[in-house]
Amino acid sequence: MSDFPWLRIGWRNLGRNRKRTGLTALGLAVGFVASVFVVGWSEGLMVEMVESATSLVNGQIEIHDAEFRPDRSLYDTIGGREGTDVQALLRVIDGDASVVAAAPRVYAGGLVSSGEATSAGLFMGIDPARELELTRFLDQLVDGRLPVAGQNELLVGEEMARQLSTGVGDELVVVTSGADGSMANDLYTLVGIFRSGLTDLDATFAVMPIGDLQTLLVLPPNRVHEIAVATADPMVAEATAARLADLLPAVDPAIEVVPWTVLNPAMVDYVALADAMYFIIVGIVFGIAIFGVANSMLMATFERRREFAVMLALGATPRSVWAAVLSEGLAVGVVSLALGAVVAFPLMVWFHNAPPDMSRFLGSDVTIFGALLSPSLRVEYNVPFWFACATALIVTALLAALYPAIRAGRTPPADTLSGL
Amino acid sequence: MARCSGMTYRVVGLLVVGCLVMPRLVAAQTDPLEIMARVDRLLRGESSRGVAAMEVVTEHWDRQMTMELWSLGTDYSLVRLRAPQREAGTATLMAEDDIWNYLPKVDRTIKIPSSMMGGAWMGSHFTNDDLVKESQIIEDYDIEIAFEGDRENVAVWEFLLTPKPEAAIVWGHVEYQVRQDDYMPVWTKFYDEDGELSRTMTYSEFVEFDGRLVPAVMDMHPADKPGERTSIRYEELEFDIDIDQSFFSLRNLQDRR
Repeated sequence: MSDFPWLRIGWRNLGRNRKRTGLTALGLAVGFVASVFVVGWSEGLMVEMVESATSLVNGQIEIHDAEFRPDRSLYDTIGGREGTDVQALLRVIDGDASVVAAAPRVYAGGLVSSGEATSAGLFMGIDPARELELTRFLDQLVDGRLPVAGQNELLVGEEMARQLSTGVGDELVVVTSGADGSMANDLYTLVGIFRSGLTDLDATFAVMPIGDLQTLLVLPPNRVHEIAVATADPMVAEATAARLADLLPAVDPAIEVVPWTVLNPAMVDYVALADAMYFIIVGIVFGIAIFGVANSMLMATFERRREFAVMLALGATPRSVWAAVLSEGLAVGVVSLALGAVVAFPLMVWFHNAPPDMSRFLGSDVTIFGALLSPSLRVEYNVPFWFACATALIVTALLAALYPAIRAGRTPPADTLSGL
Repeated sequence: MARCSGMTYRVVGLLVVGCLVMPRLVAAQTDPLEIMARVDRLLRGESSRGVAAMEVVTEHWDRQMTMELWSLGTDYSLVRLRAPQREAGTATLMAEDDIWNYLPKVDRTIKIPSSMMGGAWMGSHFTNDDLVKESQIIEDYDIEIAFEGDRENVAVWEFLLTPKPEAAIVWGHVEYQVRQDDYMPVWTKFYDEDGELSRTMTYSEFVEFDGRLVPAVMDMHPADKPGERTSIRYEELEFDIDIDQSFFSLRNLQDRR
């Protein structure tokens, strides 16, 4: 310590006016807590948005015929007109370590009718066992149960059921175009009603076992439009998609393996924008703090002019005086950081694990970019950002001390000591 | 309103001529409304019944259908499939602006919701909207003569139909060519709002049915799918038959013949 006494001098100077030191440190600490918390909350929103968008109905990765998007034509099945060995594809996909679930799907547009009422519908053929592992929208039905294959049973969304004034047990007429051009139509029993929370989806989707929909559409069982894949973490979707594209056996015509980041670029942009915003937030918060800290540091050094004059008169170099003042700034920063961390982390843990429910104030669920958000204040941990914040805090403290340090180093010893 | 009847032609949704509420008193020979009204009078009767074969050719499949059609005025028509056997009895009823489809397989009638009026009718290149909107051409469009003279040595008029601002029309504009000597339509071209050709309807094989000269064949070609078309060929057509509004009922829609 004796090798570098300025750090000690800086630290001890904190005790000179404890109230002032405390207030200065508190200012920085509040800035730190605010930044960490606001960003944690924003991050929580982003994570929830991405999770919701990629697990409610869509997967994190979709595999289609290369022509399927964006028209979603009935004829653009995986493997084209000939179809493909869907089970073989599923085996390869299931074998990937990052894959949690995969499910084949068939889609078709048409009409659903009940009595007098008719509504446009998007039919989705699913493998119920696989689909339950992949998506959440069928986990808790509002009413009824999942359809059984071969029984002409289907599910519709809550909003469609309302528009059709229909309920579980009712008979629905389904009309669509078959792959052979015929007017495909049949009677189905409504066995369940789901609610995803996404109004569009709840108003248009009708879900039935994949085999039943293929029969209606005159599509053989080896023709599916999509294999949806869920990965352990949305952030590994891109890498997993690239790996699957290499692993999957060649299919003719070509297929595409698309991660959610490609399917929902608006959301990716939004997340990137939020990331950029974090640093603006840090800039604003500490930009405000820096003047407060600089002010008190300036006061603290000004009232010690005589002390610096004595140091300089006794042979201390201006550089040593700078070191002493900067050390003081550093010490303030460290104290603030400790204080901020002690306040921030318990709060973060609390808001992460048991976020307060804001639905009382917001009323209902919020949707954005096709993702459903729950009205809670859940925060996410962003460790690199915490370090960035801590660094910003220390840098702020040092920058705030810079001008007072230079002033202190320039104190004219003789004039100051003579009382001028 | 009932002076022009929207019949068979309207049923198949092709004619771009519509119901002329009132021929102008001072109608010069080249008054576009007067010409359109005359075309309409020639092609239509108060009521009609016909049999037509419809062939739909798409990239993925070809289908042949035979259908029987009835119409009364511009507001009522009924189409029933006779073949293929599997779909025989499938029928469409148009009454004013509404369309109902009867599905014999499930023995149910469903009304086409307004959101689906742009959808294909019976898998063809005609939309449900074509079936009901065709009779309102003169109300929905401003009509002017864009060309008058010879095309390939045939004297023709070409009309430019521009949707009126308040009309619910999906097209940017429509062009319509009519022969001057016999008032027969030659083609209709539908353009989207960007001015791109969207589809072309051609009329051919002008023959007499029940004393009226009409185009027996109509082909619809979507511009964005070069190999695809829907062709309708009249095999029988009679005009001013004994039929009234009660024929165009939901109950009759379901009657299998």
